[in-house]
Amino acid sequence: MANFNIDAKKDMTYDAIVIGSGISGGWAAKELCESGLKTLVLERGRLVEHVIDYPTMNNDPWDTELRGAAAAEELKERQINARTGFVGENNIHFFAKDDENPYKEVKPFMWVRANQMGGRSLLWGKQCYRWSDLDFEANAKDGHGVDWPIRYNDIKDWYTYVEKFAGISGEAIGLPQLPDSHFLPPMELNCVEKDVKKRIEKEFPGRNMIIGRVAHLTEPLNGRGQCQSRNRCDRGCPYGAYFSSNAVTLPAANATGNLTIRPFSLADSIIYDEEKGKAVGVRVIDSETKEVLEYYAKIVFCNASTIGTTQLLLNSTSNRFENGLGNDSGELGHNLMDHTYRVGAMGKFEGHEDGYYKGRRPNGIYIPRYRNIDEKSTTDKFLRGYGYQGGAGRANWGAGANQEAFGGEFKDALMKPGDWEFFITGFAECLPYHENQVSLDKDKLDKWGRPTLVIDAEFKENELAINKQIQIDAVEMLEKAGLKDIVGFDNEHGMGYGIHEMGTARMGKDPKTSVLNATNQVHAVKNVFVTDGACMTSSSCVNPSLTYMALTARAANHAVSELKKKNL
Amino acid sequence: MQRREALKQTALFGVATALFPSLLQSCKETSRLNWQPQFLSVKHAELVSSLVDTLLPKTETPGALEMKVDMFIDLVYGKLNGEAGQETMDKGMDDFDARCKEKFGDRFADLSPENKAEFLKMEEANSPKFNGSIWGTAAGKQEPVGFYRNLKSTALWGYFSSEEIGLKVLTYDPVPGPYQGCIPLAEVGNTYSL
Ligand SMILES: Cc1cc2nc3c(=O)[nH]c(=O)nc-3n(C[C@H](O)[C@H](O)[C@H](O)COP(=O)(O)OP(=O)(O)OC[C@H]3O[C@@H](n4cnc5c(N)ncnc54)[C@H](O)[C@@H]3O)c2cc1C
Ligand code: SF4
Repeated sequence: MANFNIDAKKDMTYDAIVIGSGISGGWAAKELCESGLKTLVLERGRLVEHVIDYPTMNNDPWDTELRGAAAAEELKERQINARTGFVGENNIHFFAKDDENPYKEVKPFMWVRANQMGGRSLLWGKQCYRWSDLDFEANAKDGHGVDWPIRYNDIKDWYTYVEKFAGISGEAIGLPQLPDSHFLPPMELNCVEKDVKKRIEKEFPGRNMIIGRVAHLTEPLNGRGQCQSRNRCDRGCPYGAYFSSNAVTLPAANATGNLTIRPFSLADSIIYDEEKGKAVGVRVIDSETKEVLEYYAKIVFCNASTIGTTQLLLNSTSNRFENGLGNDSGELGHNLMDHTYRVGAMGKFEGHEDGYYKGRRPNGIYIPRYRNIDEKSTTDKFLRGYGYQGGAGRANWGAGANQEAFGGEFKDALMKPGDWEFFITGFAECLPYHENQVSLDKDKLDKWGRPTLVIDAEFKENELAINKQIQIDAVEMLEKAGLKDIVGFDNEHGMGYGIHEMGTARMGKDPKTSVLNATNQVHAVKNVFVTDGACMTSSSCVNPSLTYMALTARAANHAVSELKKKNL
Repeated sequence: MQRREALKQTALFGVATALFPSLLQSCKETSRLNWQPQFLSVKHAELVSSLVDTLLPKTETPGALEMKVDMFIDLVYGKLNGEAGQETMDKGMDDFDARCKEKFGDRFADLSPENKAEFLKMEEANSPKFNGSIWGTAAGKQEPVGFYRNLKSTALWGYFSSEEIGLKVLTYDPVPGPYQGCIPLAEVGNTYSL
């Protein structure tokens, strides 16, 4: 695999250019390369080759000086990413440095970035859920935002297509609001989760508790190994057992011989040809040398992540598009969404003291949305809905900090597993608000001379009303499930924490109110495709990345067929 | 930061459990350091050494001093805490010893084992507690827990994440294989180190 073609100097012209190599860009590259297009992937960060560039993947706590924690000095450069609470010595090299893309937070917005080959596919939580017509019809039904130009049926087969290649484990249960994927065998629930599931499903008809659906191989697939439950995924997986661009899509693209990937290539803007009425290429700043280069292609795929793509489009100005490429509607940069997060409840479970588990399962449980899904479940307190992630585990020595004890017996008792604990935390849908937006600050430039971003977005009444209900329901479910010492919590921090930022270049039927058409093409510049989270018209309450994969594969195949018909 | 890191090393989250205060078993005199602190003052390092030895003394399993937990706390202080954290901890240590002096006429490191135990019992009773945490972040608003509980938490982290405890005392299972959700605890024994 150590044979990526990075020699983009010898050829400035390709059939296709893909900007960004994260979850969506990897899929674009794979599909376009496999269709025979000579494809250039522009990646602003460094190369990260599967396994070779995972230096910390086998570290035990004692292998690093601070036992896996990152030193204050190292975190200084990553204050924004560090707010996630996820950054440590073993994964810090996969989180971007703040000064690589500074932005202004008008209201608190945590923009979590990973600027290297593979993007955030190396760090993500791998939770994968299909969206349903409940999601695709939501805007049309309650009038918030614009209608999606597609429905579940338009993308159903593409879900199956990407799932077969990515490998999604889970259990099929036939819920209309959360369609089943093409599944590998599910991971197991543990003793307590099995009990809690029974009780919740009995006490609350219409609610389900299932094992999380995750992009982890529970069986080998295409030469990738089965997940070994090490839960060290965010350092890179030696087995390729979870889905990342690095382990899955980019090697497939590379195997065709059609891929060139150019690292350290910050896409600055898309070059629009006024006469041809289409894009002809991409202007790139070499992020190491600051050299400016131009690459040309018949089609351009924007996969620089939701906000990164919109920044690029806003910065792509011309006589025809003074306010950003494809921004005839004025909606470019608007309708930024995320999921609310970190509201829920936790408690202790009595029983199963003689039970334990084997493995650090990189997955938890999921409680699919049960509110506002049909007439019976409709509430007038808020629109849309929420689901929960969570799980049970046994406390370990960490619980000793709070125990009113010390000394030898105390120490030795901590060698044994402690109480079983269970928690759930909600993820709620956020409405698309025009005023939640990103814009360019042309007076404040980054170190490459690009305008920086201003992010001005917040959750509003509807999201806060949902959060209230999330906590009430969480406490109630835990009570009925027999948990003890239940604590409800609301740690909502403002947008970005969900790391599911979506919108800002939405799809829609009408070019006057949206940026992209039903196949992710910029309405007025049909050879530019946007298939990352920027394209999303609403936010659902389920994790979005699987949908980016399906939309990308669908759009890429559409692009190829349009090219063949000479329509682009 | 320090606490968040400690919590990340624990299970998914850690709701507190109250155990019976157990009896002290160590009487070791530790006020003379046999190591050179990189960041802490000698006086503070002596306090840390004597504290971790009182908290986690040697039994059939090694004690905190053997696992160099005091040296680890020196590193945490110097490299993890940042300036503000260091100031807070300096003040916490000075206050701690001042209270000790007031009560027993001596700084903690120089107290008899009985007095050390008595003092820590009081600290336990008076120190605020950590909230439970989820995915490395405290649930709800975390009030400051003060020097003693922070130090105790860091001591536990340093001890239980040390190589000897991790490999030989706890159950070390680096590549568990497919997850098994419900097995007898007896098959595993001690808690997992990873
Ligand atoms: C800790 C964590 C947990 C998560 N958990 C989940 C989960 O469980 N389920 C889920 O669905 N989602 C999850 N996500 C979100 C998921 O990672 C993102 O939705 C997904 O990676 C987005 O894919 P993308 O292709 O749009 O962008 P990314 O994967 O972010 O990749 C963007 C790429 O573009 C590059 N780039 C950016 N700007 C430019 C430019 N101007 N020129 C060239 N290259 C550029 C970047 O360097 C990067 O490589 C999680 C994210 C994090 C961080
Ligand atoms: S948990 Fe599974 S996917 Fe994650 S690093 Fe371990 S083996 Fe790889």
